Amino acid sequence: MSYFVVKRDLPGVTPEALQSAGLRAKSCCAEMTGEGQPVRWVRSFYLPEKAQTHCYFEAASQSAVEEANKRARIPFTEIAEVIEMTPDMV
Amino acid sequence: MATSFAIFAAKQSGAEEVAPDHILLGCLRAISRFGIVTLGPWSLDLEALGVDWVRGVDTPRPKVAYSQQAVQLFDRAARIARSAGSVGVGVNHLLAAFATEETGLMKRLKMAHGITSASWRAAIAAIDTPGANDSRIDEMESSKKETRQYLTPEEAAEMLGVHVQTMRAYIRGGRVPAFRLAGERSIRLRRSDLEKVLEPFEVEEKEE
Repeated sequence: MSYFVVKRDLPGVTPEALQSAGLRAKSCCAEMTGEGQPVRWVRSFYLPEKAQTHCYFEAASQSAVEEANKRARIPFTEIAEVIEMTPDMV
Repeated sequence: MATSFAIFAAKQSGAEEVAPDHILLGCLRAISRFGIVTLGPWSLDLEALGVDWVRGVDTPRPKVAYSQQAVQLFDRAARIARSAGSVGVGVNHLLAAFATEETGLMKRLKMAHGITSASWRAAIAAIDTPGANDSRIDEMESSKKETRQYLTPEEAAEMLGVHVQTMRAYIRGGRVPAFRLAGERSIRLRRSDLEKVLEPFEVEEKEE
């Protein structure tokens, strides 16, 4: 399993719309995992000054992450694989 | 649970998208008992609304996405949840979001039972069903996770309160047996095996 970042430009987005998107993402990830294509939404960060979100997913492939976001109908500008690093690892 | 019921309803009906009607059915199913939803003065029979308990989903299983109308419904439910001061979006918020809906299944329910926006919201507010509590969606997911016998390395790490890299080191070192899903890269760990890495803490007696 690998980690991926999904970048979104969401000008004018409201906290409610973010919550709605999160609920849709979570349900679609659960559905795909149940179908045998595991995808997990790990966490998201909202950058207020840029009106962007960076959402981190764990999945076997980038296409699985893309499909989960399309099913959840959440727009994105870019999906890229990332390498996790935490203070515990250095 | 309501959302997974909704997606199932969409798949079962052969729809390409999860529409508000599927979400309404999913929510009603989540708060039903023996196929009956008791809501305010109304008793709604899910079978009469089209829920088929027997029929499965055709294979190959269709992949469905949320429709634009469904997105608007989720947005409305999130606004209701926030205005009610709730942390998460619950089944009750999703149901309340249908109060002003004048199309599809909700329209049929309104016409058949004389439901108005106000009477619907009053009935939702009075729900005392376990499936309708705030953040119930999250709670049900986590309770399902707590009873699962096989966990991902991340879930296992969370269970023991260690970093996932530590858990992966346990796996590499053979301290926790791991199982590979057939034909997949992902692995699962048996819940009962996780207790094997716990060693009893022996208290050293102080010499007097």
